[in-house]
Amino acid sequence: METETTRQPRILVFACRWCGLIGADGAGKNRIALPSNFRIIPVECAAYVEPDAIIRALASGIDGTIVMGCHVGGCRFNDANHAAIKRLELLKELLDATGVGRDRLLISFGTAHEDHQFAEVIRDYFDTVAALPPLEPWVSTLTMKHLSRS
Amino acid sequence: MADITVYLCKCFGEIAATVDLEIVRAGLGDNPSVSSAEIVDSLCLNRDLETMAHQIREGVTQKVLIAACSSLARGDRIVRGLVHRGVRRTDIHLVDIREGCAWIHAGDPDGATGKAERLIDMGLAHLENVQTSDDVSVKINNEVMVIGAGPAGLAAATSLARSGITVHVIERAPHPGGMLRLVSRLYPKDSAASSRLEPYLDELERNPLITVYPRAKLQSIRGYTGNYKIRLSSGDDEHNLSPGAVIIASGAKVLLPDGLFRYGEVANVISQMELETRFRKGAVATKNAVFIQCVGARCQDRPYCSTICCPASIKNAARLKAENPVANVFVIHRDIMMPGSVLEGYYRHVMAQGVRFIRCEKDRPPEIIGTDRIEAVSVYDAVTGSTRTIDADLAVLSTPLIPNDDNRRIAELLGLQLDRYGFFREIYPMHPVETRMDGVFICGSARWPVSSDVAITQGEAAAMKAAALLARSQAAASDFSRVPGRKFGHARVNVETCSGCGNCMAVCPFDAIRLQKVEGKYSHVSRVNKMRCKACGNCVSVCPNGTMQMPEHNYLSVGEMIRRAF
Repeated sequence: METETTRQPRILVFACRWCGLIGADGAGKNRIALPSNFRIIPVECAAYVEPDAIIRALASGIDGTIVMGCHVGGCRFNDANHAAIKRLELLKELLDATGVGRDRLLISFGTAHEDHQFAEVIRDYFDTVAALPPLEPWVSTLTMKHLSRS
Repeated sequence: MADITVYLCKCFGEIAATVDLEIVRAGLGDNPSVSSAEIVDSLCLNRDLETMAHQIREGVTQKVLIAACSSLARGDRIVRGLVHRGVRRTDIHLVDIREGCAWIHAGDPDGATGKAERLIDMGLAHLENVQTSDDVSVKINNEVMVIGAGPAGLAAATSLARSGITVHVIERAPHPGGMLRLVSRLYPKDSAASSRLEPYLDELERNPLITVYPRAKLQSIRGYTGNYKIRLSSGDDEHNLSPGAVIIASGAKVLLPDGLFRYGEVANVISQMELETRFRKGAVATKNAVFIQCVGARCQDRPYCSTICCPASIKNAARLKAENPVANVFVIHRDIMMPGSVLEGYYRHVMAQGVRFIRCEKDRPPEIIGTDRIEAVSVYDAVTGSTRTIDADLAVLSTPLIPNDDNRRIAELLGLQLDRYGFFREIYPMHPVETRMDGVFICGSARWPVSSDVAITQGEAAAMKAAALLARSQAAASDFSRVPGRKFGHARVNVETCSGCGNCMAVCPFDAIRLQKVEGKYSHVSRVNKMRCKACGNCVSVCPNGTMQMPEHNYLSVGEMIRRAF
């Protein structure tokens, strides 16, 4: 039976398929044991991650989000990931200002084949999010109301 | 609508040992979009691929969701196998439940089964909402523009013209030849630079397919692979070209040793290029000559090795020694870089002729002694550990090649990237003459300092790549992926809702978006050039109202995936 105290944080990962996803794949190949409560959405580039998607995720009850991309200067799409970092850093400010907190979003940029780094990022982030107070439901409903597109 | 078939791969027990696939299948029974779910032993076997493809072709099912290993393991091969058998790429979705689930949660089978169910549900959400990008097909013009008429550019132009392709060579200087016009002789065979240049100049004259535009300046570059629109001025004339490919062979320039080793302050402290000029004017009489290597190179500002200065100095040292056999010729270096069998042999040969090499240290550079004229060079010999004073009537400073000033302008016009020093960057080391822009190739010292023979090799390589592109008369936008494999998609604009804010245009790293004037609610709408678009997704992320979408990764599918993630 899942209770509020034993509940593992829910974490959503957006992983760029050229770096983050290869790291995830490597972690799988090495069979590194990880907590199961995270999901990966593969994307072509970190630039695909709309700030909106992060807010939607947090509003729908997900406790933390990670965006994984390539090193700055190592992007397959010129400097697309650089633009993504700027955008997401700005989003962190916004999360702080709205009381959600900047720790709900982690931006991680590494190269491919860093499977242990991937595992470490996931484990550390589980600890980070577990230490955060649960997201207040009023924050969720409020943001949901503001964000519902249709 | 129940039109998705789900295949659950046991992977011969690798997945089934942790994830209870029967529970997963039972859970899929309630899903209205799933027509059937099947558990198979291993999907990577050919016969299972055949069955899958057959079912899709026969209309038993429209879309397939494959829950198996990651795309990097065998997943991609399964997807490619189905595409090869005539299934649309967007009708297939691969969910990784081996590397991404079974193998990392082996100690938690319940958690792993629950996660696999959610991952498959997310995959279904994607398949329900995914759309296909529209493709375009364009004509490839059988013309190439070569920027720069140095050895690399001339090699590229002549080999293209020989294979029947019209070539436009644009050159900033009044005459073609580039750096070959400035140097006297070439290493290692000590042949005259003109002997390498003249055959090319002859061919420029003879071959009617080559046009040279001297004193040229690029005004604008528009268009896309297969049909670039180029406006340039050559002298007082204006020209419009529409080449199918562009080869950048703009070369590099030599660093002037201003402020280094009292250059310009003391007579007879000259740069390597000035020595070449003196050689071209006649013999250089010297009794005691000293070459100083790595002047302004391999330092904090320019940590790179320019690769051509060591062979060039050794070539000139040998020539001084040959002109006056009793002369003392010293080369002061930090490391002698003579790679390869030919150059290393040349180095040994020159040493045997009596040219002396002194190794110094980076932190204790040699000093020029003398008031108006150079009299001696004081150097700390790192091998013997003592400071020596060498009589000198000539000191030659070997400076590196540095990027041309207009590299940045050309890069901006073409949507390319420069490296941190300002040289053009290749796409990957495995694709040495290709850039991030399809149909734009780089060669010679524009990419990295190289000697004329390497520049020629690279020029011919770039010509080969351009010829391969031009060999087809028609090409589709989806053929041009800057990453291995097929292009992911193209951004799509909803012209009904686009307000023409221009965010997407500002953020596009490939310069693929333009605003178009329209009559209607808003004055402009954005237009995506599908040939230039490389599907990085930036425009989608900055669009304020969801007008810009990547059909393969649209907000409906992502939103639904997030909703069903837990």
